[in-house]
Amino acid sequence: MNGASGEASALLVEQARRGDARAFEQLAREVERPLYRHALRMVGQVDAEDVVQDALLSAWRSLSSFEGSSFRAWIFRIATNRALDRLRARRRHPEVPLDPPTEEDNDRSWAEPAAPGPDLAEIAGDREALVIVEQILATLPVEQRAALLLRDVEGFAYEEIATITTVEIGTVKSRIHRGRLAVRNALVARGWRGPAG
Amino acid sequence: MHPFAELSAYLDDALDPTAKAAVETHLDACAVCRTRLAELRGTARLIAALPAPVPSRSLVPRVSVPFWLAPIRTLATLASAAALFLFVASALLAGAPSGTGGGAAAPAAAPAPYAPNAGGAAGPTGAADQRTLVSASASPAAGFAINTPGATPAPEAQRSGQTDATKAATGTAAPAARQEAATPGPAARALGLPERPQLGPSPWFWLALAVGFGVLAFVLQRRLRGT
Repeated sequence: MNGASGEASALLVEQARRGDARAFEQLAREVERPLYRHALRMVGQVDAEDVVQDALLSAWRSLSSFEGSSFRAWIFRIATNRALDRLRARRRHPEVPLDPPTEEDNDRSWAEPAAPGPDLAEIAGDREALVIVEQILATLPVEQRAALLLRDVEGFAYEEIATITTVEIGTVKSRIHRGRLAVRNALVARGWRGPAG
Repeated sequence: MHPFAELSAYLDDALDPTAKAAVETHLDACAVCRTRLAELRGTARLIAALPAPVPSRSLVPRVSVPFWLAPIRTLATLASAAALFLFVASALLAGAPSGTGGGAAAPAAAPAPYAPNAGGAAGPTGAADQRTLVSASASPAAGFAINTPGATPAPEAQRSGQTDATKAATGTAAPAARQEAATPGPAARALGLPERPQLGPSPWFWLALAVGFGVLAFVLQRRLRGT
């Protein structure tokens, strides 16, 4: 996803950094949808479009300060920060529905299947399973959710996620594992069993 | 001791070589960890398979468009509407009605105004606007009329112009006495007819201004919308 268009993007980034607005708009169009799906699962539908627009505008204004190798990681960092800002602002205004906790929760244990169900490997693409996954993602602590989405949906490497979320790589590793385990447990609690079990 | 906490990182190939080798050695001997690893892989695939929602509108900021373009577009639209108003007003005030009944068809013979986005007053359907003008000049007070029965209607108004002219002629036939005493309007002057003294620019000036601003607003609007 990242590599194929990397060369062309690098050229566009360089042009945009020199002030070429059209080059920036093309770059923004390439990341618009990935940013939106990320923001949507971070802050919900109401604020997702605003978060992306804010992030893109902010990126344009601060493009001269971009010195990294990955524009995509850089713009995701801005958007993730915007999303977290939005969630923090909501907490200051209690009339808005509560978001999941931000603190890293305690170590999760591996839930055992209550009864034999369909094989996890067989349900990929199953609409019901996907709905459950969406629901459990929404209940994860936002930091875990961000890390897990950046890894499994957007395909970022752990190092990039560490940069995007400005934490140590060990923290990224822990968040991804806990997030995945939470989703796995939710599926198992609904009767699914592991492929080998 | 099961390396459960390492399994996700192992799955993502994010372990250093030593830790990776240790997990692999354990996996060879531990069916439980192989099961857990398979579960995590299935979970990651499910998350990756989530539907990709699409925004309801473009979220890309139009940074290539100068910030002053939108206000200029609005001003051009307002200016076009104002000029159109002045055109109608100056046409009405230009003088008493002139010429015979046939003269009332004059506005239909005028150059067809093309002023898109001009505050809705002069849309691209010139014929409809022509009818408005015709009925305006058909009133006894209207003196702005080209007193030339042989004038050629503009292309846009060609079809409707004829019927409108007939209607207008009927409307102006009644106050014939007043029309006889009237002096030809500014448009008539343009056609070399006897001139009537007049204050301010010609109504045609305002119409040209309306068309000009309308075209400007239209072009700016297209630029703002993007391709």
